[in-house]
This record gives sequence, C-alpha cells and structure tokens, in this order.
Amino acid sequence: MTPSGAVREPTGAGEALAGRLTDAWVLPPGIPAPDAYDRLRAGDLPVRHPTRDALDADTLISALRDAHLGLAAIPTAGMVRILGGAAEALTRELDRADLRDIAANGRLSAAMARAVVEGMALSWTTAALDHLVRAEFPDPRMLGGFVAETGGREGAADEAAPGVRDDAGEPGQPARAAAAAAPRRYVRAAAPAVTLHFGAGSVPGVTVTSMIRALLVRSAVLVKPGAGDIALTVRFARLLHRADPRLARAVAVQYWPGGAPEWDGWERDLVRAADQVVVYGGDGAIESVRARAPASTRVIEHPHRIGVAIVDARAPGPDDADAPPGDATVPGSDLLARAAQATARAAALFEQRGCVSTHLVLLVGGEAAASAFCAELADGLAALETELPPGPRTPAEMSSLHQIRGRLAMKGAALGTAATGSWTVILASAEAFEPIDGRSVWVVPVDGLEPCRELLAPLSPVLQTIGLAGFDGSRAAALAEDLVAIGATRIVPLDQVPFPAADWLHDGARPLRELVRWSELR
Amino acid sequence: MFTIHRDAARDADAAFNRLALRVHAVQRANNPVLRRYWDAVSDGQPVAWDEIPPVPVRAFRDMPIVSGTAEVIFRTSGTTGGGAGGGGGNARRGEHHVASLELYRAAARDNYRRHLFAGAPALRLISLVPNPADVPDSSLATMAGFISREREVARTVWAFDPESGVDVAAVREAVASPPPPPILLLTTAFALVQLLDALAHSPLPLPHGSRVMETGGFKGRAAEVDRSTLHRRVHGTLGVPESHIVNEYGMTEMLSQAYDCVAGQGPPAGERVHRFPPWVRTRALDPADLSPLPPGRPGLLAHFDLANAASVCHLLTEDYGSVTADGGVRLLGRAPGAALRGCSLAAEAFLRMTGAA
Repeated sequence: MTPSGAVREPTGAGEALAGRLTDAWVLPPGIPAPDAYDRLRAGDLPVRHPTRDALDADTLISALRDAHLGLAAIPTAGMVRILGGAAEALTRELDRADLRDIAANGRLSAAMARAVVEGMALSWTTAALDHLVRAEFPDPRMLGGFVAETGGREGAADEAAPGVRDDAGEPGQPARAAAAAAPRRYVRAAAPAVTLHFGAGSVPGVTVTSMIRALLVRSAVLVKPGAGDIALTVRFARLLHRADPRLARAVAVQYWPGGAPEWDGWERDLVRAADQVVVYGGDGAIESVRARAPASTRVIEHPHRIGVAIVDARAPGPDDADAPPGDATVPGSDLLARAAQATARAAALFEQRGCVSTHLVLLVGGEAAASAFCAELADGLAALETELPPGPRTPAEMSSLHQIRGRLAMKGAALGTAATGSWTVILASAEAFEPIDGRSVWVVPVDGLEPCRELLAPLSPVLQTIGLAGFDGSRAAALAEDLVAIGATRIVPLDQVPFPAADWLHDGARPLRELVRWSELR
Repeated sequence: MFTIHRDAARDADAAFNRLALRVHAVQRANNPVLRRYWDAVSDGQPVAWDEIPPVPVRAFRDMPIVSGTAEVIFRTSGTTGGGAGGGGGNARRGEHHVASLELYRAAARDNYRRHLFAGAPALRLISLVPNPADVPDSSLATMAGFISREREVARTVWAFDPESGVDVAAVREAVASPPPPPILLLTTAFALVQLLDALAHSPLPLPHGSRVMETGGFKGRAAEVDRSTLHRRVHGTLGVPESHIVNEYGMTEMLSQAYDCVAGQGPPAGERVHRFPPWVRTRALDPADLSPLPPGRPGLLAHFDLANAASVCHLLTEDYGSVTADGGVRLLGRAPGAALRGCSLAAEAFLRMTGAA
C-alpha cells in the first residue's frame, strides 16, 4: 500500500499508477466521523473506509431525509447553478495528483483519466444541466409545485396552481392569462426524499452523473461509488459540500466492499430505508438489490449493456449529387477510414468498460470492405496507444485475453493485435462473437441491412447504443425503426458514441423523469 | 558426478524434445483446426518443443480437439478455464478426447503410486471423488477408479454422491470398520471442506499412517481456504498430519498430474513444489506477451504433456505460478487481479444470456 502523499510520476502505457491514500466517504455535517477504518486497494488506489460498526444506517438515512426538505427550497435554476458550478470546479481544479488518483483508482492511464473526466463533464456543465432540466420538464416549476397542464401538454401552460408553492419556494402567482384552453389538471413532480445509488465498477464519472440527476430533482443522495470510481465521486461530493450547506446536509458518499458478508446487514438496512434505489452493475448486483428492496421502493436499474456500430460501406460516393454537403458519412475509403477512427475512439475510451462502448461492428458491404475497415481500425487503435495509453492490465485480464485470442485463431478468425496486447481487431462471423475486455473490436461483414437485424436480435436484452456511419438522415431514420424494435435505445452517429448528451434517454428511460413521483391535482 | 547428472539431464531434454516434435507432427497432420491455429500464430516449423504455440485450455470448450481416434471423452466440470481442478460454475463444459483409457492409466499410475502409496503396503480407500460408474466422463473419477483397483487397496468406500455431496455417515462407518490398514482419503478440496464442516464438532481421527490426497482449488465456490488452514483443519479433525496431506494438480484437459509431496514426507504447505512425471514440461510465461520467464518468476503456466497424444500436448492454462530450476512448479492459484468492470457487458454474462454457457 502506498503511503499517503507518495505519488509517482505518470508512467507509460500499461504501467500502474500509484494513488494517494483516499478516504472513501463524505458525510453530512452532524454525522459523527468514523473512528475505525478498514483499508483496501481499489484498483491501484489505496483507500480506507469506515468499518461496519463505525456507522449507523438509520442515523444516516434519517439525516438525509431531514436534509431533503432543505433541498426542496432550492429553485431549479439555483440547483442547476450549484451543481454545474461544482462540476465545472471539479474539472477546473483537478491537478496532476488528482488525475493520478482517478487513474489509479480506475486503472487507467493518466491521459485516459483526463479524457474520460473531461468528456463526461461536458454533460455536467451549467448549460448542459439547464438543457437537461428543460428537456425533461418543459415547465421546471413542476419540480417545486403544481403547474397547469392543458390539452395533454403537461407543463405547457405558464400557470401555477393557485395557492400552491412555485418552484422558487414562493407562493404561486395569480394565474396569468393562460393559453386558450383551461387547465385540464395540475401536475407536480416530486422527488423521493432519499435516493440510494450503487455505482458501477470502474468508469469514472458514472456515479457523479447519477448523483447530479437525483439532486436536480431535489432528492438527497447516499452514494456507494463503484470500486473504480471512488476518487472522482469523493472529490465531487466534497465540492458540493463546499458549494452550499443545504447540499452538504443532503449528500453522503460511503464506500464499502459490496457483497462482503459483514456488510450484508448494512446493505439490507440501507436498501430498506431508502425511498428509491439506483443501481448500476451486473446481474448479481442488480438481483441482490431487487431482492432486498421492499415492493414499494422504486429500483432503477442500469444493467450491463453492449454497444454496436453499423457501418454501411456502400454509401453513395463523394461525387454523388445526392450526398449531403459536409455529411460525416463520406463514402468509400474515406468513409471507412473515418468510421474506423470513430470506432477506435469509441472502443478505447473507457477501455471498453462503458455501457456505450462499441464491441461489435457490422460492416455492410462485404469481405473486402470489412478487411479494409479492419486495417484502418487497427491503425486507429495503434495511434490511440500514444494519445490515450492503456492502463495497467492484471495477469488475469491478460490471461483471459490470451485465451480468447487463441480460441479465435483456432476458429479461423482473422486477428489484428498489438504487440503490447493493448488492442485486438477480430474479423469473424457473428456466431463467434462475445464481448472481450480491453480494446477489442469484432468486425462482422454482412451483405445488407436485413442480416444486421437478424444478427442483433439475440443481443436485444442488452443492446443500448448503436453508432451509425454511412447513413444519411432518411436511411438512418428507417433503420432506426428496425433497431428500436430489437431493443436499441440510443442510435447516434458513430463519432458521438462515447459521450452521450446530458439529456440522453439512458437505457430507454427519461433520466430525470424516472426519478420523480408524479402527482396530479384536478 | 555432476557431469553425469548434467549429461543425463541433457539426454532427457533431447529425448523429450524428439518425442514432442514427433507428437506435434502427428497432431498437426491429423487435426486441421490445430494446423490452422499453429499456422496463424507461429512463423515456421518448430525445432524445439517450446517453440510450439500452446493451445488455450478454454478452446476445449469450443470444439472437440481430436488428433486421431479417441476411446473416451472426458468432460470438464464447468469451471472457468482449465487447471487446478474442482469447482463448479455455469460455464460450457469442455471435452478432452483421450486415445485410450490405458494411456490415461499409464500416465497417471506411476505418479499416484509413488506419491500416495509410499510406506503403506495396504490401504483402505475412502473416496470423496464420485464413483466412475456414476460419472464416466470425469477424468478425476476415472483416476479414482484406477486407484481403487490397485493391489494395495483392500477396500473402497465411495462416499460422495454427485447430487447430494459428501456422505458423512458412510465416511464414519468406513473409518470405524475393523480392518486395520490406514486410510487413503481421496477428495476434492471442496468435498474435504464439506466433510470438515460436517465433523467440526465431532472429530473423526483416522488410523495411524492414513493420508489425504486433495485436489482442486476452490474456483467458483464461495469459500476460499488457503492450504495451510486446510492442513490445520485436516489435522485437527481427522488427525492426519500435514506431512501426510498430498495435493494433486491436474485438469481434465491433461492426462498427467503433478503432486506436491510424497505421503508421509510432506513439508509445510508454503514450501511445497509440485512435480510432474518426466514426460511433462512446464513453463511460466509472461502474462503480457507469453514470453518465457526464468525460474522463480511467476507467470501463466503452460504445460507440455506428451500423454495428450490424441488431443494436443501443449496447453496454455489460466493458472499462475513459477517453475523451479529443476522443473518443479510452484502453484499460486488463478492469475491474480479480477477483470475491471464498468457497465459494459461481460463475456460470461453474454454467454449466459445467449445460452452458449
């Protein structure tokens, strides 16, 4: 374990970064500081967390529930400013040592940690959060009080219900001259008092996003970050505490070794006491929470997902008069090169650990185009070894990679591999496909779009992001209809895959609306 | 004297190399899948056994690897990857096609006799490994069947049911029965823990001279016990001293086994080195690029087992360990460091979802 403060300079590809000893908790004022700790290694970050007996679940949840009332008094615009400001401070204040901690925690290179945090932070800015709130709630005042809904357009009316408090916590103003139609009803979006978050393993920023969403709708948060996402989450929580005393009382972060027998009772108590649970993770983690949560508790699940790209190499040529000017889907070899670069980036960012990460490319256009694409993809991945060096890989990860590379070679798959082991390009049939950790991308040649639908259908339960290249607007829209039918929830140009917008329909749900309880007043 | 030993070792190496290349040539000629693999991952014809690329043990789960005719097919228990024995799990079962049972027996026999029967002209066998009649496709059960038919074995009690687990009552009855010979308890580590748990409050000392052969790690099981702790528990509950507890390292995909001591002569767990028979060579390979590591440096273990004549000799395992200068193997378990997961689907979950596992 590295002593506190002992930080080595960033190292090259594949070498471990040592982080500083990090306290994996941030507790609201008034909660007694823990007096006994356990230590562990989270990725390559030495971490200490309170022992099981050092905290009381009921006390913590009660404090957060009380703090929820303070949150409710913050108007939406104010909350957006506080959260956006804290997030902007987070990226602005990150120094090299912080980045090393984040990198060590997620076992990423420092350059990758920076790229991931900066990319994720694009959806945390004040402007992005303001856009998110408005996209979710056409009249954000419904987060603070009843607003009129007319003609089925909730929030369309610029009218607060008489006698109810508006979003700023002030009594509602008398009805202005409203839209022509009388309010059909008044609607209100209220957040549960306390949302408990179980973060995902090792993608920095996932937990911060989850916290921000709950706070935007004024739910107090208790966060268990993923083991590889402790460093960033703790820093963000500290900034929130610094930003506003009302948030300080409403934000708690606590890491513990999930699934450890001695923490079983603690987890059970928290899940039972929370008003709402957001859980990211694999089947086991999600089933565990689902089994423990009372039937009346809403559990919002973000299971592991898989990303796919569809590249149509038959797209019209550059001389085709119908090709839209400046379209990213430039045809022919240029299209392949650009699509391959975008795929390489989508695979490299997050080290293929993100739910959006592209694991499989369906290359429409036959074997020759697929081979050309693979060559470009290999070049792209090789170039990214310098720009975004891979993090250290454990012997277990390398073992797994050698096993699958060997198995694929036995199956006759064409492999392109880095000498360093950091990336793999596989040209094979779809039947052999299985996701591989690390920067590994499968390329499957297909003859047309119909086979794409057939090949993707078995992935339906886990399908999420599909990146498209080689499709103009109308063809993309037509294809999207089919992709929706097999479960895709995010269909975007390939170069937009890695970092979704703040208002993306995460796993097929509205990111803020799924966190609130709707009430109506007629 | 030193020169003679060195010459003998050199001769043995040369003989091993000749045989390895001959078997490799046969496997290459008879198995197009292996041929394709070797052509894809190597530059040319090997001139030494360690130039032959090892085949990943997980490949046994994908396809039959048959180089000639096979008399019997052994199937893995479904643990994740080959090596280090026992355990369960949901993974697809691998198949090992074996030229003949007699070849398997020949590969196993000298080694188990030397390590398990030492100093015991007669033994009673209590097997917590299933009866081969119940699981004929289990290589371990088949070996237990070989052992049960040895002339030194006066009586065999099969005390493990694949469905219900350890039959503790049968073990008690067998220990209490009058014939005096010491007992050879043949068990997986998992079944042994089950037995020790069942006997926690009522120790069952075995007769003087009894010995335990335990095999397998704890992969896929909730409990993971280090060997020193296991040895202490065996001594405390069964009265068998650590010197008489032998660990066997083997895998379905490999016909030969390694043992970490001769019964009655075992050093403390931390000092043990596994020994294969002379027709097996082991290397530790750098996890980064599979380059060979010098003695003492831990890496991924690759075994070349000449007995794997009807399948493939050179295996890349997922086990971690180092080799000693004299060819012994220090096992360190599975390659360390769990794969990092974010919110992307893992292969195991994917295979479960698609029904391929």
